[in-house]
Amino acid sequence: MTTLADRSPLPTRSRPAAVIWVRRNLLRTKLDVFLTVAFGAVGLLVLFHIFRFVFITARWEIVRVNLKLLLVGRWPVEHLGRIALVMITLGWWGGTIGGLIRAGQLRRGTADFDLRGWAKATDLGRRFGLLTATCLLILALSTTSGPWLLAAGTLTAALIGRWGGSKIRSMPLAPALFRLGGVVLLATPFILFLYLVSAVAFARWEGFLFNLTAAAAGIILCFPLGVLLALGRRSTLPLLRSLSIGYIEFVRGSPLYVLLLLANVSLEFFVPSALAPSKPVRAVITFTLFTAAYLAEIVRGGLQSVPRGQEEAAKALGLSPYRQMTRIVLPQALRNVIPAQIGQFISLFKDTTLAGLALGTFDLLSGGQAITQQDSFRGQGLIVESLVFVGFLFWVGSFTMSRESQRLERKLGVGTR
Amino acid sequence: MNTPAQYADATIATGAVIIELEHVDKFFDSFQALKDINLKVGRQEVVVVIGPSGSGKSTMIRCINRLEVHDAGRIVVDGIELTEDLRNIQEVRRETGMVFQSFNLFPHLSVIDNITLAPRLVRRVPKREADELAMQMLKRVKIPEQARKYPGQLSGGQQQRVAIARALAMKPKVMLFDEITSALDPEMIKEVLDVMEELAASGMTMIVVTHEMGFARAVANRVVFMADGEIVEVGTPEHFFTSPEETRTKQFLAQIL
Repeated sequence: MTTLADRSPLPTRSRPAAVIWVRRNLLRTKLDVFLTVAFGAVGLLVLFHIFRFVFITARWEIVRVNLKLLLVGRWPVEHLGRIALVMITLGWWGGTIGGLIRAGQLRRGTADFDLRGWAKATDLGRRFGLLTATCLLILALSTTSGPWLLAAGTLTAALIGRWGGSKIRSMPLAPALFRLGGVVLLATPFILFLYLVSAVAFARWEGFLFNLTAAAAGIILCFPLGVLLALGRRSTLPLLRSLSIGYIEFVRGSPLYVLLLLANVSLEFFVPSALAPSKPVRAVITFTLFTAAYLAEIVRGGLQSVPRGQEEAAKALGLSPYRQMTRIVLPQALRNVIPAQIGQFISLFKDTTLAGLALGTFDLLSGGQAITQQDSFRGQGLIVESLVFVGFLFWVGSFTMSRESQRLERKLGVGTR
Repeated sequence: MNTPAQYADATIATGAVIIELEHVDKFFDSFQALKDINLKVGRQEVVVVIGPSGSGKSTMIRCINRLEVHDAGRIVVDGIELTEDLRNIQEVRRETGMVFQSFNLFPHLSVIDNITLAPRLVRRVPKREADELAMQMLKRVKIPEQARKYPGQLSGGQQQRVAIARALAMKPKVMLFDEITSALDPEMIKEVLDVMEELAASGMTMIVVTHEMGFARAVANRVVFMADGEIVEVGTPEHFFTSPEETRTKQFLAQIL
């Protein structure tokens, strides 16, 4: 009689699992062996070259010397303190919101996992490890102690916010105070923006600061416009519908670069140059109008994904048309298309580099190109170092957004359907 | 009390009339879904509507809270005629609860939020009061322990009972049930029917579209048989299941019993 173990197809069952895995997946046939060796060799060669470039041949002093220029452009040194204060406040703000969300999940019992100790640490590492590593890298490049203090301050503020945010709800405060707190929290980014603008006009925001703020402003502004366009496209009013469709199709049919160039030259025909908005403002307006058209199509897809029965149930309960939309249909529609929305926002974030080319503004990319023309670096082929650094910062930002969107999607999916 | 002959007349209700349909027609493009529907429903009456699929049962009750717009005739609910006037429509919907075949609970809201949403937004009930009301309704449908869960975490029978609780929380004068057990697994049908029986016993005015003949026999005051968009025959359950008169009724009953 043969037992199951006797008939095991693997003669190597006494070997470690790793060996079995390699044999099965990498070396099963002759072709597999060949492919494994070939791709392994190419991969190693590429890795070797990257490693050699990053740690040996690259001359990172071009980035080190120009770090401030790349990050915030020609931001006046006497106002750098404002940026530091804003970053610390943003740390607190983000932490507080995180804490509030966490407390809400615990209260409603929708916190899908409650990690402790090592598991918690690896989860945090997976989420923020790359971001932290990048910050450390930039800190390592900096020559003064200011950035270190700033990073420590921001982290501390974030932790305090996280702790406070998770406790606020259980404090015996009047409902009016809660509402006031909510308003303050919502208004914080705008107040911080005004605080910075009051010192340095937005027209003079440069470097990575421009890319980050232009993307953030574009995302915030295009969102309501995109949702309204999506609703307009579904409207039963013919005029509203055709206007929405016309706008969406026009914008989606034009390259962003062309629109940016138009924003650069055409305004002078209509508006006296004294009244015309500055170039960075024009860029943000163009990004907003452009992304809104794409967002409208994404939201329309989301609206179509909500079953008709949802609207009918809301109607049957006597909800007004406005509330049917805002309380029942839209929340589900927007949730269903989170990945596509975030994808569009990531796209916008990277497209902000086009502003430098089209409008001649000084952003991270055009800054990265400009520094190679400085006297001490000209003609030394350092554009690669510069571009690698620029690309790396964008990649870190995009990748973190993408990861957090997947997480958000998972979280919001809890307990639904 | 009405005489058997009066029960057979769709335009005579038992007691004070609360729902009135007069010469109602409804078209979907060129297809006529409702043909000259006349029906009166009295307060506290339970009317069960049966008939083959495609006979216009659902369309008829969906016209009563204007999820469908009728093309001709009059529909009056509790003294309010359904017209283009949005305020009238909203008022009728406030007084009319509806439960659907596919539950249509709001998946992004917890059970208790599903129930309190309309009372708070439409009736302006304060949160604390609305929560208490919701818990009462959940006790009535016998699942108070599920209040904090989300619809997706409940069984079909539980979801449908939440849907009933959600409609009841608006304290409607009339309840419309649109084949609410058709999407349920057999073992869950009874728990939903039990809730409906209790509701009927409490004096709620109900129009029930269903294929559950046992329920029709036990609970209905009147049974309405529809086919091809028309009301073919109306009568007491007794009359209906023992001595139906119309050929189409007999054919239908022969098929399903």
